[in-house]
Amino acid sequence: NSPAPLPERAIYGFALFLGSWFGFILYLIWAYIPETWLFSLGLTYWPQKYWAVALPVYLLVAVGLGYILLFGINMMSTAPLNSTHNITDNFAKKQQQKKFQEEAIPALRDIPISEVNRMFFLPEK
Amino acid sequence: MAEERRFRSASGAPIALRCRQHSASCRELAVRGPRLQLRSLSAATSAVWLAAYGLFALSENSMVLSAAIFITLIGLIIYLHFVKIDQESLLVIGSLGIQVTSSYASGKESTTFIEMGQVKDVVINEAIHMQKVIYYLCILLQDPEDPQGVSEVVPLFQSSKPRLDCLIEVYKSCQEILEQRKTASQ
Repeated sequence: NSPAPLPERAIYGFALFLGSWFGFILYLIWAYIPETWLFSLGLTYWPQKYWAVALPVYLLVAVGLGYILLFGINMMSTAPLNSTHNITDNFAKKQQQKKFQEEAIPALRDIPISEVNRMFFLPEK
Repeated sequence: MAEERRFRSASGAPIALRCRQHSASCRELAVRGPRLQLRSLSAATSAVWLAAYGLFALSENSMVLSAAIFITLIGLIIYLHFVKIDQESLLVIGSLGIQVTSSYASGKESTTFIEMGQVKDVVINEAIHMQKVIYYLCILLQDPEDPQGVSEVVPLFQSSKPRLDCLIEVYKSCQEILEQRKTASQ
C-alpha cells in the first residue's frame, strides 16, 4: 500500500485528467453557447441553463454549511458528563490481567479511575 | 466547626467552600456560588426595555411595551426558580449514604439521596465539556452484576463547577469517610 508511482496509477491519473478537462469544456459549452446554436447542431437534450449557475451556488453554500454541521456533529457526539464513556470503554472492561512478575516491567493496562485518583490526590506519607 | 474558603469556578467566578464536620463519620460540604448581581440584572432589564422601546417607535403599538414588562418579570421569576443555583451541598454520612442538595435563588431546594450500598467511589474525572476540558467530581454507582464495573456516573457541583484545588479538598474529605466503611466491613 505504498504511495509509489505505478504504471496503473499513471493510467488512472491520465484518464481522470482527460475526463475532468472534457467535463469542464462541456460545462462551459453548456453555460455560454446560446440555445439556438446548440439546437441548430442537433443537440437538443440539455438541462435548463438555470442550473449552470444554480449548481455552483448550491455547492458553495453546502461547503459553508458543512463547516457548521461538522462543528455541531462533533459537539453532539461528545459524551455528556454523566456517561460512563468518560470513565471506561469496551476495551478496558475486557482487558486481561497479567500476573505480576518480579523484576519485570509491569504489563500495559488501563488503570481504574479510583486508583489513579488515589495516586494523584491522596499523598502517601 | 465551619470554615469557609474562597476558590474560583471553571469560568473564573468566585465561589466559597464550607466544610462542616457533624461527627466522626458525617460531613457536609457546601459550595456557594456568586449571588445575582444588581448590575447584570439592570443591564438585562435595560436591554430588553430599550429593544421594546425601539420596536414601539417602529410599530406605534403600545402592547409591545406592556409585553416587555411582562416578559421581564416572568423571565426573572423563571430564572430565579429554575436556573440560578445559589448553593450546592454534599452530605456524606458514613454508614448511610450521600445526599446531594441544590438550593435555587428563589428558595427551592432539590435533593437526591444515594445509599451507601450503591456508591462505588467518589472520584475527580476530567472530561470535554463545551470546547473545554474540565475537572469535575462525580459519584460512581456500583453495578449489581459486576463488582468491578460502574453502572452510572452522577456528576456533582454542576452549576458552580469548582476548579481542581477546591475539588481536591472535597475529594480528600469524602475519601476519609469512605475509607471508614472499608475498615468497618473488614
